[in-house]
Amino acid sequence: MKFHFQGGPAEAKVGDTIAAALYRNGQRIFTRSFKYHRPRGLLCVSGKCPNCLMNVDGVPNVRSCVTPVQQGMTVKAQNAFPSLETDFLSITQRFDWLMPVGWYYKTFTHPAMWRAAAPTIRKAAGLGEVLPTAPAEYEHAWMHVDTAVIGGGWAGIEAASTAAERGERVAIIDDQVSLGGQLRYRKRAGEIPLEIISRLRNAANVRILEESYCFGLYEGNLLGVLQRNPHQGTAERLVHVRARHTVVATGAYETPLLFPNNDLVGIMLSTGVQRLLRLYGVVAGKRAVIVGAAEAAEEVGADLRGAGVEIVTVASPTQIVAATGSGHVQGIQTHTGNFSCDLIVVCGPRVPDAGLVAQAGGKLEWSDKDGAFLPTLPSAVVSVVGDAAGEMRPNATSPLPSSKRAFVCLCSDVSSTDLCDGIAEGFDQIETLKRYTTATMGPCQGRMCQLSAIGVCSRETGRSIGETGVTTSRPPNPSVTLGALAGPRHHPIRRTPMHYAHESQGASWMDMGDWRRPRYYRKETAAGEKESVSLEYKSVRERVGIIDVSTLGKLDVRGRDAGKLLDMVYTHRFSDLRPGRVRYALMCDEGGVILDDGTISRLEDDRYFVTTTSGNLDFVHQSLEWYLLGTSWEVHICNVTAGYGAMNLAGPKSRDVLRQLTDCDLTSEAFPYMACRKAKVCGIPAILLRIGFVGETGWEIHCPAESAEGLWQALLAAGAEFGIRPFGVEAQRLLRLEKHHVIVGVDTDALTNPYEAGLAWTVKLDKKDFVGKALLSRAAQNQFRERLVGFVLNGIELPQDGAAVVADGQPAGRVTSSRFSPIQKTAIGLAWVKVSKAREGESIQVRVDGKLASARITMRPFYDPEGVRLRQ
Amino acid sequence: MSFLLPCPNCGNRSVYEFRFGGEVKQAPAPDATEPVWMDYRFNLVNVAGVQTEWWFHRSGCRQWLKAVRNTVSNEVLESFLPGEKGE
Repeated sequence: MKFHFQGGPAEAKVGDTIAAALYRNGQRIFTRSFKYHRPRGLLCVSGKCPNCLMNVDGVPNVRSCVTPVQQGMTVKAQNAFPSLETDFLSITQRFDWLMPVGWYYKTFTHPAMWRAAAPTIRKAAGLGEVLPTAPAEYEHAWMHVDTAVIGGGWAGIEAASTAAERGERVAIIDDQVSLGGQLRYRKRAGEIPLEIISRLRNAANVRILEESYCFGLYEGNLLGVLQRNPHQGTAERLVHVRARHTVVATGAYETPLLFPNNDLVGIMLSTGVQRLLRLYGVVAGKRAVIVGAAEAAEEVGADLRGAGVEIVTVASPTQIVAATGSGHVQGIQTHTGNFSCDLIVVCGPRVPDAGLVAQAGGKLEWSDKDGAFLPTLPSAVVSVVGDAAGEMRPNATSPLPSSKRAFVCLCSDVSSTDLCDGIAEGFDQIETLKRYTTATMGPCQGRMCQLSAIGVCSRETGRSIGETGVTTSRPPNPSVTLGALAGPRHHPIRRTPMHYAHESQGASWMDMGDWRRPRYYRKETAAGEKESVSLEYKSVRERVGIIDVSTLGKLDVRGRDAGKLLDMVYTHRFSDLRPGRVRYALMCDEGGVILDDGTISRLEDDRYFVTTTSGNLDFVHQSLEWYLLGTSWEVHICNVTAGYGAMNLAGPKSRDVLRQLTDCDLTSEAFPYMACRKAKVCGIPAILLRIGFVGETGWEIHCPAESAEGLWQALLAAGAEFGIRPFGVEAQRLLRLEKHHVIVGVDTDALTNPYEAGLAWTVKLDKKDFVGKALLSRAAQNQFRERLVGFVLNGIELPQDGAAVVADGQPAGRVTSSRFSPIQKTAIGLAWVKVSKAREGESIQVRVDGKLASARITMRPFYDPEGVRLRQ
Repeated sequence: MSFLLPCPNCGNRSVYEFRFGGEVKQAPAPDATEPVWMDYRFNLVNVAGVQTEWWFHRSGCRQWLKAVRNTVSNEVLESFLPGEKGE
């Protein structure tokens, strides 16, 4: 297989990870360190340390040691210029005395200093950058199981197998390419139980997620699992696994030892050396020194000798003075002598990987007997098995250096000296020390450094390791890309029944919540928004227009006591509404604040048809249900929003259009303004409401959704001789603004009561009880502060929503909506102003485009203030 | 927050299927004074411990229910349909 590394070609064998292929090709330096730009090479080879982070196909900070090579992949180094081998910024390590622990806090004591320095520091320090070539496709999936086993080593296989035999649905989550854990690379640990694995693989009740890692164990046994390359075209899949029982079988990992120059290239953990050898057939060096206790050293020594590596010496950790070399390791100084070598194999302490148990609420307690922090279980639904529970035999614990500098935290270049300085400055608790020095806070999330940091803190403070304790384990760990968390880019879209008719008529779309609505229609011409809206506006005012209002919430409220419920929830009275009549409906909360508006039509004695604003349907429905609880009223509420399509036919010629399609008497005598009828239109059973949001004669027609497109087309055809046009939301907004009609949520906010909004006529305080009555009664008596008024601007430039209103040189309010009015031939709008200014003809100023423009207040609608036209 | 909430109709479900409806409180009488209504509308008990609260099973049975929950541990001690407990 071929791939690209640093712009040149590179080769890999099938099954190689990126790091294994590069190591085989002679690459030794894989990264430059965060702060000092020191060269770093492979250390753990298991995705637990920060030493192999690279940019792969545009994605930064990819753990190259566990990422399989794919044909044609592009791999780039990070944080190194001009190359990994020569990095100009490695000069910074000469100036480490300039950058003591906490130097951010000590140096940048003024915001201006930080602002000046930040761009340089951000560029010099830190991790990779996201390239435009990064993949953009991610997805989410959900999985429900009885038992989730995290880890595919011997303990995990055993636990999964037992659960599967009980007939449970089981998921095994393993971050390696195949099950087996340490059995895959440690000869002495035993044989991989191939037979059990194949039985699990074939079992119908077992799912195995390979190359997937669990980054968090959340409340309610919810596991965040990240699966790489789930299928062609998708970079990552985030699986939400919900389990009845979680088994943490994450094993143990090896950590480095502390000695001067312990971060040189060529110093590797013994398990890293074994992985390279057994999994990829890569021999890590020619002349090796092994540092570690006898038994562990013996095991890795045998493996290396078998691969033809010369073992120069085996040294106990207590004998080490320092590693030597600049960049690459060249030798080691011990109390028994100096040895030259090109590889130091470190058999470090093995740490149970029990962070997930701690995330689930468990505790990690130090055990002197085991030389490790062991997990205690938080609840019966989480268990921990195998090495993660401390079943492994730990290697010798780390001896600690006295004063010489050894790197504790490889992620952010924190040395043992830095930790000692931090403690001397008073940060002597492990949690404060962590925050001050940033040790354990890098990409490895403390896996490589936590034990050493605790060791240094314990020794410096004289407290035992148990007393020192561990830092808190929090998800996500390991890290997760933001793309995976954000998930797929598609959003659900709700389309009205007439959607495709709008599309064929050249609709320009706008999103309103989940809905898509035509903003305006381009119709046969290539006209822009302004011209189109103006044409649509004119057709409604002069002839006839039609708009799709299917997005309105629609509730069918039935039963003997339906009127009582509506009286209770809405401010107006509906129990006395005569069948065949419609009333404007306003809903307030207990504080008297406007929540929603719509219309309520009484179709029959015990049947009301309620409309709500598009976005508030669920809220209104739930409120009605809630207020119904605890009463013995006979009411049934049915959400029929998706069942009905709706359109508003409006304009002086609307009656002439509709008359052609229905037998219903449409004269104002038989069907007056604010009346409703059930009638057949084109043979389709429909509900007709004679209302006028846009201020003209018009009907809101509700019909079964499956017939709505047909009715829409029939009305357009019938209206052709009158010059009918479909109109969009933009024209509707202008038409209603000229009528001074309020849009809840646009012209009102979270403090608006009906009195201030000029809707006092909708509040019937003489009702015995209704939601908000107590505080609305008070509001009616109080002098309120502001009023919603109309204004006519002296000019055609439009103020922005929220633009300031100024009166007598003082702030006096804000604009909520503004449009150019063809009737007034100038900009008009609605604004909140102080009550003292809310008088007809009062002059104010409005901020437009940075300047103040003069305007005149009007308390009446801009168009047809007497409401003659919509009654015609 | 990702605990499971037992719905009396639907069984254990992810809390994300529900809309939180707030603490169960007794509404004042219609003619109660303004401060009493203000207190009802704006002030919460906000207990660190067990409280009874409203939930609406939005992505399920679409019913209001009451749940007794420990706000510290998110342990739900019981849940029931309104009126079931004679309240």
